[in-house]
Amino acid sequence: MNHTSDTRYSPRRILIFALLISYALFCLFPLVLALVNSFKTRSEIFTNIIALPEHLEFGNYGRSIKSMRYFRSLLNSAFISTAGLTGIVFFSSIAGWALCRFKGKLSTAIFSLFVLSMLIPFNAIMIPLYRIATVLHLSNTLWGMGWIYSGLGVGMAVFMYHGFVKGIPLDLEDAARIDGCNLLMTFKNVVFPLLLPITATIGIMNLLWMWNDFLLPLIMLQSPSRYTLLLSTNMLFGKYASDWPAILSALILSALPMIIVYVLLQKHIIKGITEGALKG
Amino acid sequence: MAHQNATKRNLQLLACTAPALIVFITMKIIPAVMGFWYSLTSWNGINPKKPFIGLENFREIFTTDSYFWDSLLFTFRYTIWIVVAMNILALLLALGIESQRRGKGVFRTLFYLPNMISLVIGSFMWNFIFTKVLYYMADTWGWSFLDHSWIGDPTFSFYAILTVALWGGTGYIMIIYIAAIQGVPEVLHEAAIVDGATPFQRLRSITLPMIAHSFTICLFITLNNAFQVFDVVYTLTGGGPGRATQVVAINIYEEAFNNSNRFGYATAKSLIVFAIVLVITSIQLTVMKRREQEL
Amino acid sequence: MKKEKTMKKITTVLVMLCISMMLLSGAGTKEQASPAKKVTLNVMMSFPRFTEEMEAYVAQFEAKMLEEKGIEVEVELEMPSSDQYRNILQTRLSSNDAPDLFTLHATADLPTYVEAGYVADLSSQPLAAKLYPDVRTSVSVDEKVYAVPFESTVWGYLYNKDIFEACGITAPDTLDEMKEVVRVLKQNGYTPFQLAFQEQWVPQLMTALLLGGKVSGEIPDWVDRMYADQGSYREVADIFEMINLVMSNGTPRAMETGSEQGAADFANGKAAMYIQGTWSAESILSVNPEIRIGVGALPVNNNEDCTRVNLATTTSLAVYADTPQKEMAMEFANYILDDEDSSALYESLKFNPVASCHDFDQYDWAKDASRYVAEGRAYMDLVLPQAVTNEQGKLLQSLYVKQVTVDQFITIMDQTFKAANKALAQ
Repeated sequence: MNHTSDTRYSPRRILIFALLISYALFCLFPLVLALVNSFKTRSEIFTNIIALPEHLEFGNYGRSIKSMRYFRSLLNSAFISTAGLTGIVFFSSIAGWALCRFKGKLSTAIFSLFVLSMLIPFNAIMIPLYRIATVLHLSNTLWGMGWIYSGLGVGMAVFMYHGFVKGIPLDLEDAARIDGCNLLMTFKNVVFPLLLPITATIGIMNLLWMWNDFLLPLIMLQSPSRYTLLLSTNMLFGKYASDWPAILSALILSALPMIIVYVLLQKHIIKGITEGALKG
Repeated sequence: MAHQNATKRNLQLLACTAPALIVFITMKIIPAVMGFWYSLTSWNGINPKKPFIGLENFREIFTTDSYFWDSLLFTFRYTIWIVVAMNILALLLALGIESQRRGKGVFRTLFYLPNMISLVIGSFMWNFIFTKVLYYMADTWGWSFLDHSWIGDPTFSFYAILTVALWGGTGYIMIIYIAAIQGVPEVLHEAAIVDGATPFQRLRSITLPMIAHSFTICLFITLNNAFQVFDVVYTLTGGGPGRATQVVAINIYEEAFNNSNRFGYATAKSLIVFAIVLVITSIQLTVMKRREQEL
Repeated sequence: MKKEKTMKKITTVLVMLCISMMLLSGAGTKEQASPAKKVTLNVMMSFPRFTEEMEAYVAQFEAKMLEEKGIEVEVELEMPSSDQYRNILQTRLSSNDAPDLFTLHATADLPTYVEAGYVADLSSQPLAAKLYPDVRTSVSVDEKVYAVPFESTVWGYLYNKDIFEACGITAPDTLDEMKEVVRVLKQNGYTPFQLAFQEQWVPQLMTALLLGGKVSGEIPDWVDRMYADQGSYREVADIFEMINLVMSNGTPRAMETGSEQGAADFANGKAAMYIQGTWSAESILSVNPEIRIGVGALPVNNNEDCTRVNLATTTSLAVYADTPQKEMAMEFANYILDDEDSSALYESLKFNPVASCHDFDQYDWAKDASRYVAEGRAYMDLVLPQAVTNEQGKLLQSLYVKQVTVDQFITIMDQTFKAANKALAQ
């Protein structure tokens, strides 16, 4: 939106730039402060909060890693997210595709069901869900969490797959059928590879959601050895409420995976948001 | 022949959608239906017995549960503030970024960063700031306007929650606005410049109308999320002091999982909230879709 | 083209990750379905803050069983967070998915659980004979022992002995004496009370102590009447005098101070008294090992009879009545009070001695508290509905920030108790 009429260093530009910088600082403020202070000793924090640490106290990180069973929690979160994602992707892709190809009353009905379900807020179902999970022996298991997230996430994913499949021409599928492929083979060999772009988007969006989800794991997971990263961090906060360096290092460690993912997959993430929102 | 084909097609459709349907019905539909059922009982979550009491829960909510309505009111107040603030802020940031020549990508990346980190973690970081850093600044640099009980004082904790929610949520909305702004055809702007329009006039007459559809979406998203806010408040103030910052999601959570474990009663409350959200977002969507068409 | 490649890579990685996860978890479960002579015990406990110590103790148990009996035991220790512990336990008990051993709150829960038939009788086990008489009573119903006590505490409020001695004061026995103590402390430049109200259970300790003292000293049937919807908080309204005294003479920024922070501040001498239980001693000492802690009974009014310490056996371990692993479960229960190893465990958890097998010295403050008990100035922990204690904590927070008045507090608490009664009846 840079037009020839705008001069390069007009006061307006500079003002806007300054405001943007301020907001950028606002965004970074908590992170930087947490990072800087996570390397200090307990007494150092109280002397000067803003300054850089005297020397890097890695011991804080050591303590946090041990207390919150960092690697275990990390694995738990990764497992749950991956399991949930697999379920969501595989179930929704074929469902979304079928709903688009087999038009008719049944498909409209099923599709509406999926779409309407997106409106159901988590609060309304969390208690019965807890009950169901207990009955099905899914509570307090990582597998169970994967199944639950699948169930919760297919609605939106089906919607997105459906929208995407609409834009794929039928020719390739027809050709496959003529070649003698049955339904499943057609999907697997011809359609699914074409769905990769939207799959990536769906993958990233759901990964973010599941990884950072708090309430569901809080209710479902009871053994600390099965806690997700967020739950472990939460537990640590209660345990070490006055040991700020330890807590801050734990926070940094918790945020790290997502930050790394962000740095690597930025473009896709942003694309995913825009596509997801504007198509809806 | 056609009939046979239709049946076969329907079966195939069902086969494909079966896995998705099964998990989804198990995890979302059945709980929703059970929710309706539980709200009509006095189940306490533990006892296998679930005595049916009809609409008694609802009667109780409407007549004696002032805490629930207080939390609802507080949630309303929070929602209005955050919907307005977040959308305005996001729009301004989007416009600001788009008006720059360079560094657009960097700013966009930075502004979305807080969203990537769970609000739970973000709230803890802000907790550190509110309970330690700000006091330090107030004491050492004499910035006494910072010397307030940001978490303990009901007046200020509201703003603390807003700040953290804005910090962690604006990026997402901003990105949507950026995409919408980028979608405005250049030719319109060029033509307007030729006609001698100022940037502000261009903003008002071209940009804003052309991104109207994104307003609808963003408003829907922010509205929906604001009503169900939990993470931020839970980790920052826990709903306290007392119940001063208790949003409705926390009220329901505590009713079910702390206190007397009144699951049936709590479910009834969540149904009421659901109904309210449904009505409000439906109104919002209908009104705005109509206005979009007019524009 | 490049985009597609990246997409493919991402998908492949995800799929690989998923498959390897599935294999790993599959492998894990296979191991457990191992040969006989292996016993698995499910133990559920409600103190996640002692996870490390308990895991170590469990490992010792497993080693001992292997050595002495040649049985390979695997103890699966579950430590849910304490706020949800009861829900989880009760859900599992009612859905026949109960752990073999589990902790419960002796004073509050034992009668109900015994009646429901969930816990096994331990009276004939070696552990029962070792228990101290007072403690034994607290884990018994109808003279039969039903749980192994872990945390048996006597508590009131904590005070800094050095500060008290420097000011020439001793622990007060009446409200007026406490007012004098406050005056002297302030005169000497000390802050009387450490306030840590961020977590509502901490201010709730005040109501617990004050109600306990008032009720046992003057209105012994108050709790029963409250349960029958026949009492009112107005009868105990003088507890608010002490509450007011504490809130007006405490450390600043109380709402920003959590319990651990409060312990740290108290340890560093920021205040002379901290209304916290003796379980906090561990945290306090870890910050300042030099501090000399004393325990005092919190006065309610000018009736010395109301100034008492709280005697509570809280977390105790019970054996599930219908466990298929009865023998091994009993072994584990007995091991908790093992002649050789138990002392070390209780010492590391900073718990009081509860049985004759404990030969470690009581900490000074524990001796302080026991003195009150010996003088007959203790009361058994009052059992109030959880909704009531939660509400008390919240209202105290609101009271502190001046959002409710004492009058409103009383009215609301009466309503809350009635609502809790109603919920219990359903």
